[in-house]
Amino acid sequence: MPLLEAHNLSKHYAGVAALTEVDFSADAGEIHALVGANGAGKSTLMTIIAGANTPSEGTLSLDGVPLRHGGPAAAQAQGIATVYQEFSLVPHLSVARNIFLGREPVTRLGLVDRAGLIAQTCALLDRFAITLDPMAEVGTLSVAQQQMVEIARALSQPARILILDEPTAVLSLAEQENLFRIMRRLRADGMLVLYVSHYLNEVLEIADRITVLRDGRIVGTRKAKDLQISDLVQMMIGRDAPVAPTAADSPERAANFVITYATHAGQQELTMQAGEIVGLAGLVGAGRTTFGRAIAGLHRPGAIATLTHEGALLNNSTPRQAMRAGIAYLTEDRKKDGLFAGLDIVANATAAALPRTTRGGFRRPQVERAQAEAVLKRLHLVAARLGMPVAQLSGGNQQKVVLGRALMTEPRLLICDEPTRGVDIGAKAELHQIIRDLAANGAAVLIISSEFEELQALAHRIVVMRDRCFVADLPVGQADQQEMLIAASGGPTEKETA
Amino acid sequence: MSGAVAQPGQMGIAFGRAGIWIALSVVLVVAGALLPQFRDPENLANIGRQIGVLGILAIGQTFVIAAGAIDLSVGMLAGLVVVLTCALSPEYALLPVMLAMMCLGAGVGVLNGVMFTRLRLNPLILTFGMMSVLHGVIFIITDRSIGRAPSFLRDLANGQMWGVPFAAMIVLALGIAGHVALTRSKFGYHLLATGGNTESARRAGIPTRRIFVLAFALSGISAALAGLLLAGRIGVGFPLAGQGLELDAIVAVVLGGTALSGGRGSVARAIAGVVLLAIISNLLNLMQVSGFAQTALKGMIVVIAILVNQPPKDRA
Repeated sequence: MPLLEAHNLSKHYAGVAALTEVDFSADAGEIHALVGANGAGKSTLMTIIAGANTPSEGTLSLDGVPLRHGGPAAAQAQGIATVYQEFSLVPHLSVARNIFLGREPVTRLGLVDRAGLIAQTCALLDRFAITLDPMAEVGTLSVAQQQMVEIARALSQPARILILDEPTAVLSLAEQENLFRIMRRLRADGMLVLYVSHYLNEVLEIADRITVLRDGRIVGTRKAKDLQISDLVQMMIGRDAPVAPTAADSPERAANFVITYATHAGQQELTMQAGEIVGLAGLVGAGRTTFGRAIAGLHRPGAIATLTHEGALLNNSTPRQAMRAGIAYLTEDRKKDGLFAGLDIVANATAAALPRTTRGGFRRPQVERAQAEAVLKRLHLVAARLGMPVAQLSGGNQQKVVLGRALMTEPRLLICDEPTRGVDIGAKAELHQIIRDLAANGAAVLIISSEFEELQALAHRIVVMRDRCFVADLPVGQADQQEMLIAASGGPTEKETA
Repeated sequence: MSGAVAQPGQMGIAFGRAGIWIALSVVLVVAGALLPQFRDPENLANIGRQIGVLGILAIGQTFVIAAGAIDLSVGMLAGLVVVLTCALSPEYALLPVMLAMMCLGAGVGVLNGVMFTRLRLNPLILTFGMMSVLHGVIFIITDRSIGRAPSFLRDLANGQMWGVPFAAMIVLALGIAGHVALTRSKFGYHLLATGGNTESARRAGIPTRRIFVLAFALSGISAALAGLLLAGRIGVGFPLAGQGLELDAIVAVVLGGTALSGGRGSVARAIAGVVLLAIISNLLNLMQVSGFAQTALKGMIVVIAILVNQPPKDRA
């Protein structure tokens, strides 16, 4: 009998079906991946299993016994532990207090047993070979360390199912291997590891079986060893994968952007040409985003970028100045510092182009609308109306709005930080084409991406960063993933241990 | 973040926990050395009596603010308790009146908490509304001072034993209880987690709504206790007795380094904040600074305290 069985699960939100008559089963001692494009329903299915969401119809059973619905706490009590993509940690509290949040050991006096809390945390971290200070405040840890806290928390109680939502999105190569090691160990202990991921190559590497969802329905469950990426993509989008685009020939022009980047690690230069797409690769923490933001006037102390265009110094002392100089930055976290969630599409798209859409300090709605429409049409934005709040758009369409805002400033240099993060596979191909068109029209584009495939598909050359320094500059034809990883991780040792 | 470069606000965090104690020590030493009147035991006892009402309010407020909310209704709630206690005590026995007042405080607190968690109202607006309602209720009851505080409360508020005012003892006892509850009890752990990240706490199985309701209830009960003590101090049911107390309590809590955004907080440091404010106001009185100048000075102190305590953030 399968450990986890879903029968006829459906979920509607205000009449919209997120999940339709899903039958799904997974076994103990298995790593089972859930994949699908954004909006395919994998998150909905996952949150229902995790107890954070109740199905409109259908049943879930564990070992043949129907699960009680009673929120995340009830699911936990029944042996289902979840690590969400957005961390659910409390930044002000210590590692130990976060791990045992809600389940603190208590002394006879009814007070929290602080010594016991630390001891239990140390024992738990040791068991999974996680190196963390139990007393450290979680808010001061790196993202990867915070994820380890999350995982330790999930494993701190008896669990039969561990759900991991996009766990590798924030991990470096070594950290990812560490995670996979833990996952394999849990599988050997007879646990079911449910693994939700966008990264198909990783899914194929780690999962035993893969279930693909599309439009709220199950497309199928297959053994991972019988599948290739192209099979998965086809199942996900219901048609053949888009032909892998080849990078256009490098434009043969003189370097006309010279970026000088000064950090504590020293001063270095990066040159770019109009019409060129440069990919910036590196592991998490290599300082790529800090560099990208510094170019656009979002300097941090100790990370100052100055740049010249055809010999003339550009003023990028503030984001406003940088924008005037023709530099646009597309944020990696559109929710945090990209979108104005409460405003509509038009206002979001024109926010950076107010000098062109206002007159005498007053907004001109028709002009705004016309200009936004023109840009967003180029980007193939799909929206019911331009007056709707951006928060209601899908990830891919939100990204197009933010990109549209950047394009309205008519940048000469565009920095795209993870331009397709949280975007489904169809929109991703569109975004890639838009970026290529931009470059073809003469803009220099710097792409920061953690996906090697993305860099390879887009960039003319790939610059690798490690610890705030540019350590390699590879023409795309010569850049293979291994070479890049070696450069990014500081030598062949990293690869051998991986 | 690059290690060597100081970020704005980091200095404040470095002082963080010790800041209020340093400030308090400095003021005590300087005042004690320069002003002989300040050292006078009678003057010190006077300060001890003055911290009673605000000290109790600050304890309750610490819980609400650490949970990530705020309670503006406590001043008027204490004022209502003053009026009711004085109006009722000539006719009714002391104990039932006190119990009724505690229940009133808990009731208003629970009402605040339930409205906050169920209607998801902004706590500032919600408790401001409650403050207005209570203000109105007070003036429906009376527009002038009425009744008389029971002698027990007057003795409690003004009396002392071995040179230590009862009011200071009450604050000390409640403060220790509150401090242990916040730093050592499960409730305190869960409250700080709820204030730090409500959604995370909820996902960890913490009953966050109950935590909020309990925090507001504690605040309401502390307002009732403060009201009883205030009645004893004033002696009559003066309708505006509680006006502005909520702001002083919040100021003391913030001086103690409790983050207005929730997730951090200390009862001990909030009380230290109350003591600091009382000493400063005492010093200004001794130096015969006018009341208006005192108010202005207090405002400046608050702004400076918040500046020093603000967490490191990207500059605007």
